[in-house]
Amino acid sequence: MTLRIGELRIWPRSLAARTAAVLLLGLAIVQAAGLTIHALDRMELLRLAQAQEIAARVMSVYRNVVNVSADQRATVLGDMRHLPGVAIELSDQPPISDLPPTPPGEQRLLRVNMNLTPMPGHLRPRDVQMLGGPFWHRLVVSLRLPEGGWLNLTVKVEPPRPWHSPTFLAAFLLMTATAALLTLWAVRRLTAPVRTLARAAEALGRDVNAPPLPEDGPLEVAIAAVAFNTMAARIRRFVRDRTELLTAIGHDLRTPITRLKLRAEFMEDDEQRRKMLLDLDELESMVAATLAFGRDATSAEPVSALDLVELLRTILDEAADAWPDTAEKLRYEGPAHLTVRARTLALKRALANLVANAVNYGGSALARLTLPGDGPAHGTSHGTLTIEIEDDGPGIPPQELDRAFEPFHRGEPSRNRETGGVGLGLPIARNILRAHGGDVTLANRPAGGLRATVTLPV
Amino acid sequence: MDTVPHILVVDDDREIRDLLARFLERNRLRVTAVRDGREARRAWTTGHYHLVVLDLMLPGETGLDLARWMRSQANVPIVMLTAMGEETDRIIGLELGADDYVPKPFNPRELLARIRAVLRRAGDSAEHRSDPAARTLRFNGWTLEPGRRRLLNPEEAEVVLTGGEYDLLLALVERANRVLTRDMLLDLLRGRQAGPFDRAIDVAVSRLRRKLEDDGRHAQLIKTVRGGGYVLAATVERR
Repeated sequence: MTLRIGELRIWPRSLAARTAAVLLLGLAIVQAAGLTIHALDRMELLRLAQAQEIAARVMSVYRNVVNVSADQRATVLGDMRHLPGVAIELSDQPPISDLPPTPPGEQRLLRVNMNLTPMPGHLRPRDVQMLGGPFWHRLVVSLRLPEGGWLNLTVKVEPPRPWHSPTFLAAFLLMTATAALLTLWAVRRLTAPVRTLARAAEALGRDVNAPPLPEDGPLEVAIAAVAFNTMAARIRRFVRDRTELLTAIGHDLRTPITRLKLRAEFMEDDEQRRKMLLDLDELESMVAATLAFGRDATSAEPVSALDLVELLRTILDEAADAWPDTAEKLRYEGPAHLTVRARTLALKRALANLVANAVNYGGSALARLTLPGDGPAHGTSHGTLTIEIEDDGPGIPPQELDRAFEPFHRGEPSRNRETGGVGLGLPIARNILRAHGGDVTLANRPAGGLRATVTLPV
Repeated sequence: MDTVPHILVVDDDREIRDLLARFLERNRLRVTAVRDGREARRAWTTGHYHLVVLDLMLPGETGLDLARWMRSQANVPIVMLTAMGEETDRIIGLELGADDYVPKPFNPRELLARIRAVLRRAGDSAEHRSDPAARTLRFNGWTLEPGRRRLLNPEEAEVVLTGGEYDLLLALVERANRVLTRDMLLDLLRGRQAGPFDRAIDVAVSRLRRKLEDDGRHAQLIKTVRGGGYVLAATVERR
């Protein structure tokens, strides 16, 4: 656990990692405190047991010595010479040693235990002195015999080692690992809804009709999901209302435009009539764009097989007819035929919008079709074909590239020449292509000019 | 048959109805204009019409129902006015059995060109023009579906045509192995394209040849006739 925190030098960025780090840190502190309390407890126990044992040994030696007459004592001592861990001697005086006096706590413990040993009063030691202790690995106990003289015992003692247990390390590691794994699992589980929410928000940004979040799970998560779904529904309604408004206006404009076109036919001045019809055509194309934007890209048109290359060529032909000045600058590069499945009219509108953009703003259009597998340059992935539509115009300032796809956005005034339009060409193209499972992006070419890159699944 | 074709216009907008009638009359057509299905049925009993211009969106009885009724009464060609902005452009067109359809707002001259093209086709091959929607024309592996205004290549994939190219190809296919003069073809494209019309014919034919994989210099399918005209050299199978 401490290891893990040692590894995490920097504050992690993800919520899951942060929560896990905080939990694991807390767990480590609690573990350490618990272990310390346990160790202190154990030490106390060990001290008591040790004191009891030493007192018993000391008193047993003393009893053996005091129970015999003075002349026999040397023999008794000789018998006990080989007792392990104890050196015994008789002396006229307490031992002289470099050991400091035994700490009072230890002394008291030993004395209490020695006094507890049953023994007639006249045999009890007249005086007891102690030097050293567990810390010095030796304890010297001197007992004054009733008839004078000292019995000096030097006992080997080990300081108590609370951590010294073969199972201790294994148990500790197992506990730590289990706690850490449980923590990580729980944190991942708990933060999963946050990731789901983030993904849903991302999906909503791409497609306003993205499926709603499941409204289950823990209470807070369910509340967040409901709030999110409500918000998404409001956005959808807002978009739909706006689109319906536009569509209604577009519908209503069709009748007056038709009338005006008929009226124009009765104008005497040919030049004025021609210009009026051009204006009306422009108005009509604006209405058409509005209606196309309002229409759901996944609408009724069936998907069928079509030759994509002929579609591109037809679009370029029509562009050449509409703008005869640029006819020489409209080119196609790529295979001679390619059958794809798509909604013909919708796809034609999408690609025609991109070509019209290139011609209007760049004065030329090169449509290049790249099949999956032979496009090293532009990240053609497997099963995706790429259509690049390039022009030689001024391009778009980088900060405008993203905004170009916003509905009703119309670039800078300087780019607009006399092109009309309502700023729906690119949004329509993108809606249609995304409904086909593809996409379109814009980029400025290093050599100058703009490149629209269309991807379509094959 | 009268020398001046008689057109029945059904549209609920009075202004459009009147203007369209004036416009068509000025272009040497006879016009009866009515506002809805009820008036159309009444007019049907009192006159004989060579073509009906029918608005799809009518109050009361829809243009679709009216077209079906008319078809059950007589084999009259119908040009449908559909609403731009709905998928009607093409999808409803296939169901209706209209001979042609023009989205609103239409260009009067284009409508006139379509009317003339349909009239010519009707007079030309009345025996074949039973139900346009159910009909497909097959030649050299290619399939033309007039009901859906589309061309399928031998692999059954659609080859997109412009409106002018489609009209041109349909005219050639319907009169296969007969020479079509440039003047006849010009009529088809009139109202559709800006610019000089005779160039437009050559351009449209060369584009059609490319789409039909018909080598321009040794064209086998759409042959150029010396003296100004084109002919589709193929056996056409009608279904």
